[in-house]
Amino acid sequence: MNTTRIAALSLTLLLAAGVAQATGDDFNSVVKLIEQFYGVKHQGITFLANAGMKVATTAAKIKGGTAKRIAEAGSIKLAIFEDQAFDREFTQFRTSLNSALNSTWTPLIQTLSATDEEQVYIFLRESGKKFQVLVITIDRRDATVVQATLSPENLALLLKDPEGTGKSITEEATIIDQE
Amino acid sequence: MKLLFQKLAAPLLFIALMTTVAQAQESRIQTTTLDHLAAKASQSVDVNMDERLITIAAKLFSDKGDEKKIKELLIGIKGIYVKHFEFENDGQYTAADVETIRTQLRSPSWSRLAGFTSKADGNLEVYLMMTGDKVGGLAVLATDDRELTVVNIVGAVDLEKLAQLEGQFGVPELGIEPGKAKPKNEQ
Repeated sequence: MNTTRIAALSLTLLLAAGVAQATGDDFNSVVKLIEQFYGVKHQGITFLANAGMKVATTAAKIKGGTAKRIAEAGSIKLAIFEDQAFDREFTQFRTSLNSALNSTWTPLIQTLSATDEEQVYIFLRESGKKFQVLVITIDRRDATVVQATLSPENLALLLKDPEGTGKSITEEATIIDQE
Repeated sequence: MKLLFQKLAAPLLFIALMTTVAQAQESRIQTTTLDHLAAKASQSVDVNMDERLITIAAKLFSDKGDEKKIKELLIGIKGIYVKHFEFENDGQYTAADVETIRTQLRSPSWSRLAGFTSKADGNLEVYLMMTGDKVGGLAVLATDDRELTVVNIVGAVDLEKLAQLEGQFGVPELGIEPGKAKPKNEQ
């Protein structure tokens, strides 16, 4: 077996492991719920095995040049829906989402903006000594579902500014995915 | 005597714990009656931070500068719950909607505090729940023609520092100016 074959086999196993970890949990349930409710299709579930996310905690810190890693490396799952219609009444979706997650996740903050046609949902749950955060962002044409593991230190940042940090998590995950 | 104490210790501890839980539950006001307003609102925010999350946050802030102030503020707080609605037109919520909140705050355990005003337009009502000589909870009801906000803090909150929570932990900017607040029924 030559080096190329070994590399290809290793890559296949790595990808398979990633897919295995990205299935069979609430993350996938949320993706399916969005698909069924809005009649849309996601572009692919990405398991960012080696990516860490850099999230600047406040505008001041961004200007100051300091950024903090908020999500644990290898913990990020990401599903993206691009350029599709998310035009159904969103309070119904919120009810369905909360029903789907209420046994295992705690809703931290939920913002609905009819003006901007944007919905942001942030859920939390304990994962050993750490916490998992699930951020769902839906606007008129796009949606993103991100699940990541947070250390307690970074959980505090999320609690202090839930909406801002939640959006940062989504933005940073999306940027990494596109790189 | 020692045996009697051992026999009574567990039930007494249980009763004490249940009392604490009951007090915490009493100061949590129910806001689900407002959920239907999200369909009419141009913007709605719903925040739920329970004791476990607050405790974690309080432990993790440092003892320096602004973080120290936040840490001190969070000590004793057992929950922060917010419902905030903004509307594009007047009359999107009714007096009956607000009454579902005020009804809970009229119970004997709650007192409305005078002296709180808002830099923003509209009406600001601040209510305090006392458990003995300690603050057990706080509720803020802010209304104007196109906005409705309910902030419920469960646990001991320093009234002088209430305004510091604005803009943090999901609490919206309400323009709270504490003044010399005291229960209305003491005036």
